[in-house]
Amino acid sequence: MHPTTEAELAQIIQDARAPLQITGGDTHRFGPAHGAALSTGGLDQISIYEPGALTLVAGAGTPLAQIEQMIAAEGQCLAFEPAHWGGILGRSGAPTLGGIIAGNISGPRRVIAGAARDCALGVRFVDGTGRILKNGGRVMKNVTGYDLVKLLAGSRGQLGVITEVALKLLPRPETTASLILRGLDVGQAIAAMSAALGTAFEVSAAAYLPDAGEVALRVEGFEASVVYRAQELRDLLGKTYADIDLIDDTASQDLWRGIRDVRPLMGLDGDLWRISVKPSDGIAVAAALKGAPYLMDWGGGLIWAVLPAGHDLRPALNGIDGHASLLRADDATFNALGALPPQNAVLAELTRGIAQKFDPKGLFQPQKAA
Amino acid sequence: MIPDQTRLAMTALTDLLGDRLSTGPSVLAIHGRDEAYSTPALPDAVAFPQDTAEVSAIMKICHQYNVPVVPFGIGTSLEGHVIPTHGGISIDTSRMTQILAIHESDLDAVVQPGVTRVALNTALRATGLMFTVDPGADATLGGMAATRASGTNTVRYGTMRDNVLALEVVLPDGTIIETGSRARKSSAGYDLTHLFVGSEGTLGIITKLTLRLFGQPEAISAATCAFPTVDDAVNTVILAIQSGIPMARIELLDDVQMKGMNLFNPDLNLPETPHLFLEFHGTSAGVKEQVDMFKSIATDFGVSDFQWASAAEDRNRLWQARHNAYYAAKALRPGCDGLVTDCCVPISALAECIAQTKDRIAASGLIAPILGHVGDGNFHLVVLVDPNAPDEIARAKALAADINHLALSFGGTISGEHGVGIGKKPYMAKEHGAAYALMSALKRAVDPKNIMNPGKIVD
Repeated sequence: MHPTTEAELAQIIQDARAPLQITGGDTHRFGPAHGAALSTGGLDQISIYEPGALTLVAGAGTPLAQIEQMIAAEGQCLAFEPAHWGGILGRSGAPTLGGIIAGNISGPRRVIAGAARDCALGVRFVDGTGRILKNGGRVMKNVTGYDLVKLLAGSRGQLGVITEVALKLLPRPETTASLILRGLDVGQAIAAMSAALGTAFEVSAAAYLPDAGEVALRVEGFEASVVYRAQELRDLLGKTYADIDLIDDTASQDLWRGIRDVRPLMGLDGDLWRISVKPSDGIAVAAALKGAPYLMDWGGGLIWAVLPAGHDLRPALNGIDGHASLLRADDATFNALGALPPQNAVLAELTRGIAQKFDPKGLFQPQKAA
Repeated sequence: MIPDQTRLAMTALTDLLGDRLSTGPSVLAIHGRDEAYSTPALPDAVAFPQDTAEVSAIMKICHQYNVPVVPFGIGTSLEGHVIPTHGGISIDTSRMTQILAIHESDLDAVVQPGVTRVALNTALRATGLMFTVDPGADATLGGMAATRASGTNTVRYGTMRDNVLALEVVLPDGTIIETGSRARKSSAGYDLTHLFVGSEGTLGIITKLTLRLFGQPEAISAATCAFPTVDDAVNTVILAIQSGIPMARIELLDDVQMKGMNLFNPDLNLPETPHLFLEFHGTSAGVKEQVDMFKSIATDFGVSDFQWASAAEDRNRLWQARHNAYYAAKALRPGCDGLVTDCCVPISALAECIAQTKDRIAASGLIAPILGHVGDGNFHLVVLVDPNAPDEIARAKALAADINHLALSFGGTISGEHGVGIGKKPYMAKEHGAAYALMSALKRAVDPKNIMNPGKIVD
């Protein structure tokens, strides 16, 4: 099903009696395939773009690339640096705005600029009964009741089908530069990233590539300020770390696009896991991975890892505050392990109660593969 | 008359808390009002728990006897959030003031809800870190999260929405839950943290908060500057933000407000034309660069009278003056009360919205200075009224209603930072349409007995 208006989409949901699989650009599925596909791809209009107000309103099916191109022409960007997961997930297609917001899919700059969720000022959505609803708007602050925008963002389509999103934009940094620290083990790497993120030099990304033993740190902004901050940071870290290189704008942009899209782990066989912890627990997670290939972003707070197919990583992470999601696996593994970790009984009950109000027919709830 | 069920609950609560359940008239009175204009109402008793377990025990008792519960921080809300309109128990968190942990390398702090924002920053002084959200009052962090508070530097560092990483909450039946974790990205289920942030105590009581911290900037520079018109000031702000100047604070004060500022503090002695109060954060070189860029933009809009403050003492004086703006407004008409409005519009509509607002103030015959967090499109009127003149109060309320509808007509909201409480409830259906019914349904899902701060946000 491929509705081209919100009303048409609402009608489909009103009439639906069986679970639906909501799709956008088809770069990423939340769990295994199930149910009839309902695409938001037809809702692809950019209805408002006000560069002066740093806001844009677009349909959920609008390709992200189209939005990024349009705002780049005005010197603006999406602060949360949305990732393109199609490649690492082995899927074709192009990410859409709705999918990015429903999945709260944020890139390296999240450490300083917030998540996709934080850039969503307003949403329109259709709940499981076919009601068209809206929350928030184009204003930067709104404290009128429950924050349904934040609840919808990251809900993976389980509370409703997002049809339109109002986004907050930021001016695009004039230039970037990155420092590369070499020869670091994971403990040294996390210490270096924490130190860098805690400085006044506004480090906008911090990642660790364990195979190369490299930490990458990015600064962005006006040219003179970037030169100054990169140098100061280099001087400061140089007291502890011997081997530091500076890479320029072009190389830096390439590097961070790669980390954003998890390219260092591309082409490896196995299941793809995404682990969220507090940065200081990154060392414990690395130990639990027992030599499996991984990549660390967000100063150590986000860890991507490829494990042998069917292997359950979660028991090894017991006792570490955080959670591990399964992003790429076969249906049997998804059925056995679940894309998301199980919640405790109280939270599961609360979550069920909330979902029931949005989706009484259970059209959008996670399903197992047939 | 205290209902029988409440009496039974109070007996059980006294067994639990001893003299930390109070029915003293002065204690009840303090917990029966907030800082603004809503009609006071007394709780039947006030409980002073010391930890999460006690909050949970209190909730279990109140749940058993169907007694309303109102969480209370320090009482600085502005829309009647903490007023026990249905009686019952006010739960005062002022004995839960421990800073449980400061994690310097993870840039977060874990606190009990009764810690105030100033107390947290005092504790952070030696660390080189800071907590940024700064509403006018030295509010409790629990209250700030519950009302999704913001302050003067939201344009750079965000509101409570952006700065609460995780919560511990006691639900209406006494169950204790943790939403989110200190892990930066919570992906296990819905974002419950942000459901509770801004829920105004209607879904549960916040008993522990994990808050985001920022590194203190290497250099800070603050300034005031004057503009010929509000339009010029607003257009400067728009262009400055659009140019990528990472402004830390940009506050607008109109000509009327500036007159009040000078009356309240004659040493200030600033021209009585629209002003921006500014602050720049960054490295020493970065701040200089930001200031130069800002000046060049502002010059095109006729800026004058730049006054700079870089030393901490001078900056504090400047921002203290801004934080005292409410009292300064009242200096325009001694003996009056101030009714504060709080709308927020898309920044592209801000200049036009303020222009129309000024027309309506003039038509009302009232004095109402304007001040705003212009970087966010949020502005307040302090409508000055004689508390003994019913006609004036009626006109002031009509003006406030008018401004709310005006904001909605510009695609804005009726509240940018003060919240709904009792005062803004009449506008909720108009702003949210069908989603307002969904909010009520959500409230019933979490609090089926409707004992958590009943009558606020939704019915």
